[in-house]
Amino acid sequence: MIVYLIKRLLSVAVTFFIVSLVIFLMMHAVPGGPFTEKDMPLSEAVKAQLNARLGLDQPLWVQYTNYMVGVLQGNWGVPYQSPGETVISLLQQAWIPSLILGGSGVIIGAALGILIGMAAALRRNSWIDYLASTLSVLGLTIPVFVISMLLILIFAVWLNWLPASGWGKPERWILPIAAYAAIPLATYARYTRSAMLDTLNRPFVTALRAKGLSERRIIFQHVLRNSAIPMVTVFLPMFMGTATGSIFVEAMFRIPGLGSYFVSSIENRDYPLEMALVLMFTIGICFAYLISDIAYAWLNPRIRLGDDAK
Amino acid sequence: MAVPALAQTVTVPGQSTTATYMDYMKTVYARAAGSDMIQIGLTAFDKDFNLTPIAAESWSQSADGLTWTFKIRPELNWSDGEPLTAEDFVFALQHAATTGYDFAWYWSFAGGIKNWDDVTAGKADVSTLGLKAVDDKTLEVTTTAPKPYLPSVVSLWYPVPKHQFDKFGEEWSTNVETIVSSGPWVVKEWVKSNNTVTLAKNPDYKGPWTPEIDEVVLDSSLGLPEVGVPAFLAGDVDMTSLNTGQVAMMRQRYADQIHTNPVFSTNYISFDLDKAPFDNVDVRKALYYAINRDELTSTVLKDIAIPAHSILPPGFPGYSENVAKQAVFNPEKAKELLAKAGYPDGKGFPDIEIWFREEGGYNGAILPPMAQYLQSQFKQILGITMNIKVMPGKDWMEGMLARKNNIYLAPYEYDYLDPSNFYGLFYNGGRHSYHIAAYDDLVKQADSAPTWDERVKLYEQAEQVMIDQGLIVPLTHPITMNVVSEKLGGDAMTPNKQGFYPNWSGYVYTHLTKN
Repeated sequence: MIVYLIKRLLSVAVTFFIVSLVIFLMMHAVPGGPFTEKDMPLSEAVKAQLNARLGLDQPLWVQYTNYMVGVLQGNWGVPYQSPGETVISLLQQAWIPSLILGGSGVIIGAALGILIGMAAALRRNSWIDYLASTLSVLGLTIPVFVISMLLILIFAVWLNWLPASGWGKPERWILPIAAYAAIPLATYARYTRSAMLDTLNRPFVTALRAKGLSERRIIFQHVLRNSAIPMVTVFLPMFMGTATGSIFVEAMFRIPGLGSYFVSSIENRDYPLEMALVLMFTIGICFAYLISDIAYAWLNPRIRLGDDAK
Repeated sequence: MAVPALAQTVTVPGQSTTATYMDYMKTVYARAAGSDMIQIGLTAFDKDFNLTPIAAESWSQSADGLTWTFKIRPELNWSDGEPLTAEDFVFALQHAATTGYDFAWYWSFAGGIKNWDDVTAGKADVSTLGLKAVDDKTLEVTTTAPKPYLPSVVSLWYPVPKHQFDKFGEEWSTNVETIVSSGPWVVKEWVKSNNTVTLAKNPDYKGPWTPEIDEVVLDSSLGLPEVGVPAFLAGDVDMTSLNTGQVAMMRQRYADQIHTNPVFSTNYISFDLDKAPFDNVDVRKALYYAINRDELTSTVLKDIAIPAHSILPPGFPGYSENVAKQAVFNPEKAKELLAKAGYPDGKGFPDIEIWFREEGGYNGAILPPMAQYLQSQFKQILGITMNIKVMPGKDWMEGMLARKNNIYLAPYEYDYLDPSNFYGLFYNGGRHSYHIAAYDDLVKQADSAPTWDERVKLYEQAEQVMIDQGLIVPLTHPITMNVVSEKLGGDAMTPNKQGFYPNWSGYVYTHLTKN
């Protein structure tokens, strides 16, 4: 297990460097730079002076090396679009709303989705099953900005129960969390239903029933655990994706989160911020899969990791 | 016991998408919201576009027309108590010339400040600029040629607090603690992650245009009408712009609260004059006559723009009916010209691709449907196949400067209220990398001619050159529609002489009340 972990961590490091190099090169291959102006061209002298100030006048490999040396020392640079702070301090502020709203959205959505999926599987072809299927198809097909818009119209404009948008007081969190929860809810309802049905039809369930175990114990102790593998596979990557913020949900609800930076850093050619976002996301996804793999082994002791698998 | 009056806060959408520097003289296009409200310009325009002395109480021009002397109001101070001096204005432009990052062209072309180009190119020392603080309250500006409209140009000349810059460097304007203001507002809060700035009334401000409300929140997360309108309906915001789809519904519900604002802006087609098929003047002119501008604005654009018949929008100083009446829809003439160029009914005409840039704001609703309308008109009338390419702003500008394509859809919004602003776009390779000697000569003469009438006549002749050579095809002038809370009042909430409401800028915020 230890050897396995070390190997996996090494592969995370390799992935990190490959991604950093590819993104760095792609980023600089895109035409324009942080100071190519939209309205009027800058004079060459001004551009040269600005580029020199940011070190953009050096050869690419020098820029890359300097950047990576900085990153390894914990210095992620200064974002061009917010020069009064560092990339880290900017991300620290922006991460919180995304994590709170996106994270709660995924957890709540997944929990509800599992419950709905279970109910649908246990009461197959009943109204609850049809409702679950309708909900999950709607959740997966209606774009999240339309869901956001509907939530605002219904709960803020018509019923006047909740604020339309903004950040701060917890009552402002409810609608965006609901919007974030839509996709996880739909996904989990579908996965849970099909995984449970699959498990329920397996012979060991019949055997357990024949042994006289209560239906509750069969469902919660055996069926659910055996159905959990696909759910674990989806959870962490989905959590990473949502907890880093959605540009649509954040724009609709005016949340000062991470989502918009994924776009604005590219649009503004804000190289330090763009690199930081991509690299942090890469690390996050690598660890999400690593943790998922460990969770498989815990859920199903027949799965062996690393050399033990031989 | 006296009850303290409730602080009057007005919340409006901000238009800033980056939180760089709160210093107009450092960056104009990427400035933080409020940069132009916390500092005091030398002059400003009121809602009827009258030039009004603000930081300058008076000015005079030397006999040769090259030197201007501005007298700064003696009572003005920075919000930290330091006196506002002529030196702060000189420093502001020195700073813009050496480390400013996007408005150098303005001070070169519009300002014509002596030695500006040499200093920005690094060929001359910044001390050689035509700027001088004669004493604490007297500012002298020398231009390379007479600039009769300089008092309008300096409406965008805001001081920079040299004493703060000396202490904190460039970063003085990135941080609420180190920002000091000379204008009617001080920064109370700046949330960078959504570019939201809260400004409070500056209690020590002694200049003209004193605010009546206590606070303004410029919330850039409300910039999109899709977000602003629901927030308005829920009572979270005092004003929002409207997109085309929202106009009808909001007109029904808030008939008296819909304000139409002019935008001194022109959308036009520009060509690469050296690239086929647009190296032929008849081809360019065929396009000029092939557009039914009235149909475009009244049907496709649902009145969020008015037809453009010249580069200057109606109401803009120097606007000429003689010029405007030539841009008519004449499909027969358009076909004739195209046939004359060797493409009867568009036969043999290569497929072209028009490039335009993605935009937010008012042009976001105008450019895409307009491009599609042009596409169908050119097909129908001229038999030309035109494809459309939408590009991010930077890529579009880069493409146009590097001349990567032959036809562009270009928007331009004015920077100062003088015809030289619009004509400057095409002057000597300005924005479109071409040099038309006849045009350049006329614009140069017009810029320095001593009387307004002479100037207008020369600009008119310059635009005639543009028309004769088919340099551009004027298309539309945007207008914006806002819905405004019924709680707002004051002079800013009544229309001007032309029936338009003033644009949301320094004037409005200082002439606004809230119940």
